[in-house]
Amino acid sequence: MIGEELCQTILNQALSLSDVDEVEAYLSGQDLALTRFANNGIHQNVVHGDAQLNIRAVIGQRQGRATTNNLSESGIARAREEARSNARLMPDDPDFQGLPDHRIPALIAVYDQPTADCKPEERAEIVGKVCRQAGPTLNAAGFYRTGANERAVMSTRGTWAYHRGSFAGLLITARSESSAAWSKGTSWRMDDIEVDALINEATEKALRGRNPQPIEPGEYTVVLSPYAVDDILGALSSYGMSAQMVQDGRSWMIGLMGKPAMSPLISIRDDGCDLNGWPTPFDSEGVPRQRVDIVTDGVVGVPVYNSYTAGKEGKLSTGHQGGPTGGPSASNLFMKPGNQSVDQMIASTQKGLFVTRFFYTRLVHSTGCVMTGMTRDGTFLIENGKLSHPVKDLRFTQSYVEALNSVEAVGGESKLLMNEGSFCTIVPALKLSSFNFTGVTA
Amino acid sequence: MDELLLRALDLAKVKGAVYADIRFVNTTQERLVVRNGVVDTLSNDQSTGFGVRVLVNGSWGFASSQEAKSTEVDRVTDLAVQIANASSLQSKEPVNLGPPVTSRGTYTTPIQVDPFKVSSQQKLQTLLDADRSMASVTGIQSRQGNLVFIREEKTFANTEGAYVEQTIYEAGGGIQATAVGNDEVQRRSYPQMNGRQQGCAGWEYITALDIPGHAEQTATEAVALLTAPHCPIDTVTDVIIGGSQLALQVHESCGHPIELDRVLGAEAAYAGTSFLTPDKLNNFNYGSQYINITADSLRHPGLGTFGWDDEGVEAQSTPIVKDGRFIGYLMSRETASSLGLTSNGCVRASSWNRLPMIRMTNVSLEPGTWELDDLIADTEDGLLMETNRSWSIDDRRYNFQFGTEMGYEIKKGKVGRLLRNCTYTGITPEFWNSCDAVCNQNHWVMWGTPNCGKGQPGQIGHTGHGASPARFRKVQVGVLK
Repeated sequence: MIGEELCQTILNQALSLSDVDEVEAYLSGQDLALTRFANNGIHQNVVHGDAQLNIRAVIGQRQGRATTNNLSESGIARAREEARSNARLMPDDPDFQGLPDHRIPALIAVYDQPTADCKPEERAEIVGKVCRQAGPTLNAAGFYRTGANERAVMSTRGTWAYHRGSFAGLLITARSESSAAWSKGTSWRMDDIEVDALINEATEKALRGRNPQPIEPGEYTVVLSPYAVDDILGALSSYGMSAQMVQDGRSWMIGLMGKPAMSPLISIRDDGCDLNGWPTPFDSEGVPRQRVDIVTDGVVGVPVYNSYTAGKEGKLSTGHQGGPTGGPSASNLFMKPGNQSVDQMIASTQKGLFVTRFFYTRLVHSTGCVMTGMTRDGTFLIENGKLSHPVKDLRFTQSYVEALNSVEAVGGESKLLMNEGSFCTIVPALKLSSFNFTGVTA
Repeated sequence: MDELLLRALDLAKVKGAVYADIRFVNTTQERLVVRNGVVDTLSNDQSTGFGVRVLVNGSWGFASSQEAKSTEVDRVTDLAVQIANASSLQSKEPVNLGPPVTSRGTYTTPIQVDPFKVSSQQKLQTLLDADRSMASVTGIQSRQGNLVFIREEKTFANTEGAYVEQTIYEAGGGIQATAVGNDEVQRRSYPQMNGRQQGCAGWEYITALDIPGHAEQTATEAVALLTAPHCPIDTVTDVIIGGSQLALQVHESCGHPIELDRVLGAEAAYAGTSFLTPDKLNNFNYGSQYINITADSLRHPGLGTFGWDDEGVEAQSTPIVKDGRFIGYLMSRETASSLGLTSNGCVRASSWNRLPMIRMTNVSLEPGTWELDDLIADTEDGLLMETNRSWSIDDRRYNFQFGTEMGYEIKKGKVGRLLRNCTYTGITPEFWNSCDAVCNQNHWVMWGTPNCGKGQPGQIGHTGHGASPARFRKVQVGVLK
């Protein structure tokens, strides 16, 4: 970690550029430690730190960029010159309206020193506990990771913003000869990780999932665990919640904004300042993250904006520029919880499937966000209100928008799932009346 | 540099490492993106650092830093040893690397024109020309073009005496056009999926692609797809898979399941395992007699081409499937020794701060004997599918489903109507065993896959896949709801 004071020094150096109209500098760094295990033993164990400086030079309606991780004076000077040189080469962009004005972001404390400083021996101890409790009956794999990241933005428009946060996560896959199960716990504090509960979740499900039976593909009522719901929100974000995708005609939101397209039980918002998520109070342009209601009671709302896409529509950025380049993205997604437990959802299902998670999901068609993927790590048949037996994994081809239109019940408890790339969801379990399975593993 | 390398290796030995290696990497990248007539990105990116990997008490430790100075080398080496000691608290069998690796030498990607000496104006003009051509087609909602150039300078040394220096160049680029109609969105890409073909090459690679020359046709096809008939639903038929789509099929359904670390469970919690378990080696009909697949890090201009891998093992060619029979894996030193074999040089890291792991080199379907026209003429009824649009495969690489940007009917040996929203699905060995014809060298292209995800923390690998069109009998198509 560089620290606020040094970040300020580096960014000040980055901004000292003549013969340009405006300059913005964005510094992002991460210290990551990850202990990975497989076959009940540690097989990969890494620590790395890196900090990247991105400089944006603006001349009129032209902008050029350069990135470097050489943070010496000479390294910064070289990047500065390259950014200016690139700006000079650019043709005018009539939609570019300059850097965003300074707005003061919230100060949010999500930095835990013990998490940032976690030692390899501490991580090995937790991994050892997982492996000992899984073996020898089960084969455990996964990782335990800890670390911290920081980001700072400064511009000649007066923007100055700094934030640091820590993170921790334990992921467990437990396998038998014929089954696999998954659990994942994340937080910005390592002490929040419920190690024993995660071990029990994975191992009990792996044991219960042994000897799965094949089942015919087709339409099924499904109860989705939060892990599967996390995938749905991730896909809806990737394939449509950004203003750039809407403006390009590639978003699932097109034609649906202001209309009821999902169950009235479904509300989805993006909120980068909510302490229950993984807060990052400003984006890479230094704009404070605004709460954006993507779906409210089933009615589709609006996408998220960066300054460029907002400028095209005469709006203000919602603070969702993900990285130095690329478009805006929704990355702190909350689905409003309901009032049912998973047991209640299963109990109210005559025949259906319980799905732990989806795997390798990819967009098949942007209209309706049609996705294909597999079930994985614990799929069970529900019969007469009970889990009757495990089933072999199935392939689905299903519109995620239509899927959320068939929601019959929403779980009362939400789970925070922090993924790589600073993307997180806070999601409950769901019961859907219909989900389209199109194949089965051999 | 040499002093820092030796310092790390010596210190690692003093601290108890039985093996250590170090990589210094300096990566320079230029990225250019044009979207809808304006330059979205013109950026020069620089990333420098080193990674130290040590083996202590039979267990691995890895640490890295962006600061190449002696105090940092000491700190990072010490940390790597500390991590390895922690690993040994919960490790299984001690790591065995097999025979020592003592490679020495230098390697540079053979290029004709250094892409970093071509002006950015010329590069931007290429993209702006292509954009203008796409914009001339009525019905196009959005356009995008991109170019990327990479120079990776890498020095590797280990405690066994290896010392190799490499400079790897990559060049890539392409375009995408998106057309929007009534309740329909269609996209076409050139030269391949995601609008980028990439290889280990210089500027000449981009010139040969002639991106502006293909822009109007690409956009025209996107618009035509809006009103094309749908792919037949839930139908079993013969399909001819085009070269770039088949390259991705090779990547997903052969390249990944032959990664021996994956086979042995190292990726079980993330990417998954493999149906090609060791008992199947030399004992399994992966495909029909027409299927020959090779892993080759010598073939230009594949993205998996280099002098030595990131364990210092020399580049080489390995038969993977011979006349349909499965006979080889992609291996590291550690995984190879676990089967009593020797590494075939398939280990790479995506960056100085990532752990080297097994990655595909150029895993290619070798050409067959057919001309494409003859193959179409020989097909009574079926579909021709080209350019990937979506891809998904299960965690053992068994059940797959692919979508393509476009398809054509084949009726009585002739190409018929254009089709939209084409998909096909199957089971890997059943699919490859249904192949009865592969097109010849005239249709064979080394395709690049610069977006292969693997590992935790995640790494994006760059891999190559040569392929020519091939025919598969009785494939299920049309699974889009």
